[in-house]
Amino acid sequence: MWAYGQFMARTAFVVVLTLGLMGCDNEFGKKEYLVTANKPNNLHLIDTETHEIANTFPIPGDGAPGTVSVSPDGQVAYVITNHMESLVGIDLGTGEEVFRANASFDNIRSKHMFAMTVSRDGKEIYSFQTPTRILPGEYEVLDTQIAVYKADAGLDAKPVRVFPAPRQISVLATSADGKRIYGLGPSIFGFNAKTGDLEVSHKLREWDRPNYGVPDILAVWPTFENTDIVAAPYFVPRTDKAPDAPDAFKTGMISLDLKTGEVKTEDFENTSVLIFSMVHNPVNRKEAFGVYTQLTKIDQEKHEVSDRVDMAHTFYAINISRDGKTLYMGGTMDDVVAYDAATLKQKWAVKLPGGGDQGLASLRVVRR
Amino acid sequence: MKHLKPLNKKAELLDKAVNEGKTEEVFQMTTVAGCTATLDPGWEVDVFGGVAALCQPMEADLYGCTDPCWWPAQVADTINTNPDWNDGLPSAQGDWRALQTIYPKR
Repeated sequence: MWAYGQFMARTAFVVVLTLGLMGCDNEFGKKEYLVTANKPNNLHLIDTETHEIANTFPIPGDGAPGTVSVSPDGQVAYVITNHMESLVGIDLGTGEEVFRANASFDNIRSKHMFAMTVSRDGKEIYSFQTPTRILPGEYEVLDTQIAVYKADAGLDAKPVRVFPAPRQISVLATSADGKRIYGLGPSIFGFNAKTGDLEVSHKLREWDRPNYGVPDILAVWPTFENTDIVAAPYFVPRTDKAPDAPDAFKTGMISLDLKTGEVKTEDFENTSVLIFSMVHNPVNRKEAFGVYTQLTKIDQEKHEVSDRVDMAHTFYAINISRDGKTLYMGGTMDDVVAYDAATLKQKWAVKLPGGGDQGLASLRVVRR
Repeated sequence: MKHLKPLNKKAELLDKAVNEGKTEEVFQMTTVAGCTATLDPGWEVDVFGGVAALCQPMEADLYGCTDPCWWPAQVADTINTNPDWNDGLPSAQGDWRALQTIYPKR
């Protein structure tokens, strides 16, 4: 009996250890999917194992779908659509519309302008808005703001909180502890998620870098779900170089660590190609990647490009698998491709139903 | 402004605003970067003055620009002014021939 008890104890220990090593405390049975959207107004769930479309859901109303954020439990995808005036939540299991927040009201025309994300507990949605009062003979530009919605507010959601936010924020992300909302714009702003108070501000456009001009920053693609790092490219002129010098313009990467709040801005090459979106490797923090018409791998230790390949066409959006082995690219046209992160060779591709362009739609990775 | 004469009511209002120091601040639409800046010449050339850094093919960039009104002077604004411009034409590469020119409304 004693030996049997020992055997059962050892077996249980091995099972628990195995599940723990697999990270299966709440991940058992979940698979990795991609979520994206295309014209006219469709949401797609792509199975990264079978390389097939798992589901396509029409989003009610007008398009075009843009920024996508998924609830932490992988159940609901929130999409900015309807000419950026509506924030719609679609259940990824049933396709049912479970949430809608229209930003405009009365004579205020307001847009959910790119930046949108879900709280870490999935209970709130944060959206950056640009309201304009439409008067008979003029437009009155109003202050920009972040609106907070309850995720369970249904199909006529109204903000439960609104707080001012500087203009031109284009990506929102929450800190790992959920207490802060970061906005990537002319600076990186950190707001208290409850009060909206601006707690931190890290200069970008007005950075104090000797011999560097004003950086040009394009950041509308959230890619942080597997890394907890907001990444975006920047392009900047060197003021101490002749305009035709090879190093007159530099390309670099902005990284915001959502766990620590640390911000880094690191050059990695003389500007040679454009990069639209970037992502860190969640497993190998020495690597980062960017895409536009080329796929670029950056060595984070040496601060240089370590590999680069031409793509079949321009892709706006990049993302990466949780295991850091597969890069996913989408945006622009109607295909999503997967590349090996080590070799930069294509692994598979899938065409979205209907053939409509993804345009600026996000490409998100979700486990469900 | 002293060399310009207002010819209609709106122009008179603009003139009045300038004279009274009440011109409004101009707001950029959003963070600007990439192929070319919103207020730069436009969609036809890239930031290096050529075409190699434009999206490839060019149609790959069309709806990504019309959707958020990125270059309102060069491509249609489907966020506000011309929301129906590409209705029924979801693929820029496949459907561009059917897109119509936009003229000022009379």
